[in-house]
Amino acid sequence: MFERTKNLNLSIIKQIELKASKYFDSISLAQGIADFDTPGCIKRRVEKALNRGVTAKYSLSPGLPELRELIEISLAKENMFYDWQKEIIVTAGSIEGITATILTITNPGDEIIIPEPTYTSYREVITLAGCKSVFVPLNESKGWAFELEQYEKAITDKTKAIFYCNPNNPTGTIYTKDQLLDLGKLAEKHDLFLISDDVYKDFIYDDTEMFSLAEVSELRKRVIRLFSFSKAYCMTGWRVGYLHSDESIVKEILKVHDCLVTCAPVISQYAAMGALEMGEGDIERFNKEYVKRLNITCDRLDKLKEHFSYVRPNSSYYVFPKIESGEKNSWKFVDSLLEKTHVAVVPGVAFGPNGEGHFRINFGRSEQDLIEAFDRMDSYLK
Amino acid sequence: MKKIFTYTLKYILKYTSKLVLLIHRPRIIVVAGSVNKTFVKERVRDVLKKRGYSVRANSKNFNTEIGLPLAILNLPSAYSSYVGWLKIIFKAIGRIFQFKFPKYLVLELGVSDRGDMKYLLSIVKPSVVIITDITKRYMEGFRDLNCLLDEYKYLVNKISSDGLVILNNDNNKILEVLKNFKAKKITYGIEKQSDWQAIEINKNKDGQSVKILNNNIINNYDINRFGEHHVYAFLVELAIQKNINKI
Repeated sequence: MFERTKNLNLSIIKQIELKASKYFDSISLAQGIADFDTPGCIKRRVEKALNRGVTAKYSLSPGLPELRELIEISLAKENMFYDWQKEIIVTAGSIEGITATILTITNPGDEIIIPEPTYTSYREVITLAGCKSVFVPLNESKGWAFELEQYEKAITDKTKAIFYCNPNNPTGTIYTKDQLLDLGKLAEKHDLFLISDDVYKDFIYDDTEMFSLAEVSELRKRVIRLFSFSKAYCMTGWRVGYLHSDESIVKEILKVHDCLVTCAPVISQYAAMGALEMGEGDIERFNKEYVKRLNITCDRLDKLKEHFSYVRPNSSYYVFPKIESGEKNSWKFVDSLLEKTHVAVVPGVAFGPNGEGHFRINFGRSEQDLIEAFDRMDSYLK
Repeated sequence: MKKIFTYTLKYILKYTSKLVLLIHRPRIIVVAGSVNKTFVKERVRDVLKKRGYSVRANSKNFNTEIGLPLAILNLPSAYSSYVGWLKIIFKAIGRIFQFKFPKYLVLELGVSDRGDMKYLLSIVKPSVVIITDITKRYMEGFRDLNCLLDEYKYLVNKISSDGLVILNNDNNKILEVLKNFKAKKITYGIEKQSDWQAIEINKNKDGQSVKILNNNIINNYDINRFGEHHVYAFLVELAIQKNINKI
């Protein structure tokens, strides 16, 4: 019974949220959601579609043509050239795209290399597909950078893909162009796919340049790139994103996408159109706020430097501090913090073995919540 | 209140745009159709630029009753900000007094309801019309395809005999409905014999290599984009380039 699901776990982040919900005054800095609402221009686009009566029917399986055309235009601005008719699929959030991709490119028993610490749900999807996650640690002392020799060592004849998140969750690292190009060469040498989850690509807080291997024409038959509207446009509840790759891969992923969801929710596809048509200004507005909140978080962590050290993130809305004193088991630390202060954060081990001894703070929540959470943490650590 | 504001805004933007166009008299090329307007617009804008003409195209997809005047006046949208729109109105009026204006405007026209084309053509008088494709998939506020086609019929019939209508030849419905107009017709396509026809397309890692037939001469080109829609856009670019002196 339940052979397929027996090794799957509910995400640790959701377990923490569940525990936190028992306290009426809890402050959650755990789950990856911001405290902003979806921008008004997106809601108005949806309202217009609802009033026209165009949201009740399925769309084509790869998504509304007008949305895919907008996606192609938006990709071209980032130096990525993909045919909206054959190389772009609108997905039900990025997790559905990830699932469809992994089910498409792997056979049971295959291995997928994951640089870690990284997003918790990757390994569950890999397990669901009957494959094995092979973790390769990122180097914290080098700002959570890739170390190519580690990948070379991890590659076996069962390796199918390298799956990374750029900018990375939970470390907020933007991988450099050189690091990524080296990874691309490695994938070519060993005939591997590269799955790039770029969900945080719009969160850039300094002059770091965002580069994607999907820009490299020689790699277009290897790179599958995913994006979600959830984070950048505060649309986590709408469940809409997209993936793109060469036609030869996308036509196969489309079959699985069709099996899983038929099409992404049409009403959310109209919301995504609103985001691409009119949401640019809102991203700028959110980023200004996130920088303020990042500064608050870093200032407060600096005051606790005998307890924590951290690498300042270039992107995302997460900081991933290392526990320097007291209880270093991340689960025990997080449990105790929640119990004593009612502040929820995520244990680092949730993001892979190399995340042990750390915890993740989501600074996308309100300034008031951040300040109150740190006040409570200060008292707890005294 | 919102309705009154929108109506006033539309009115001011429309008549300011008309006045600006009357003063500067640019040549207007419009791109209409259900799909591929943006890519065609960019190709046309770029070929005119390459030839050294001053040209401007709609930024983003500003192609509706509010968006089109903004494109003409080269102003951004204020989206949901009333204060922002008040600033736009002042800037729009200021545009009447500007000295510099491009010789060419390349404008997308978007229709989503009956009568939209009539409204848009009450603002602009194009000398060149490019129709990309018309499909049933983008009906939005139209009851049926014939109602949608009526909008395009209205558009091509508004072009005078010294104008140019560039049509996608692969769409039967376009040819069937859009036939009796005064302007000179140029066709382009992939599947059917056309004035500008892509007779062979090969995909490569950098885009597509295409063989194009025009006037019994075949030429080879490389397009650094993927997808047939870019081939269509490129055919339009060639047609415009060849007829640039007549525009």
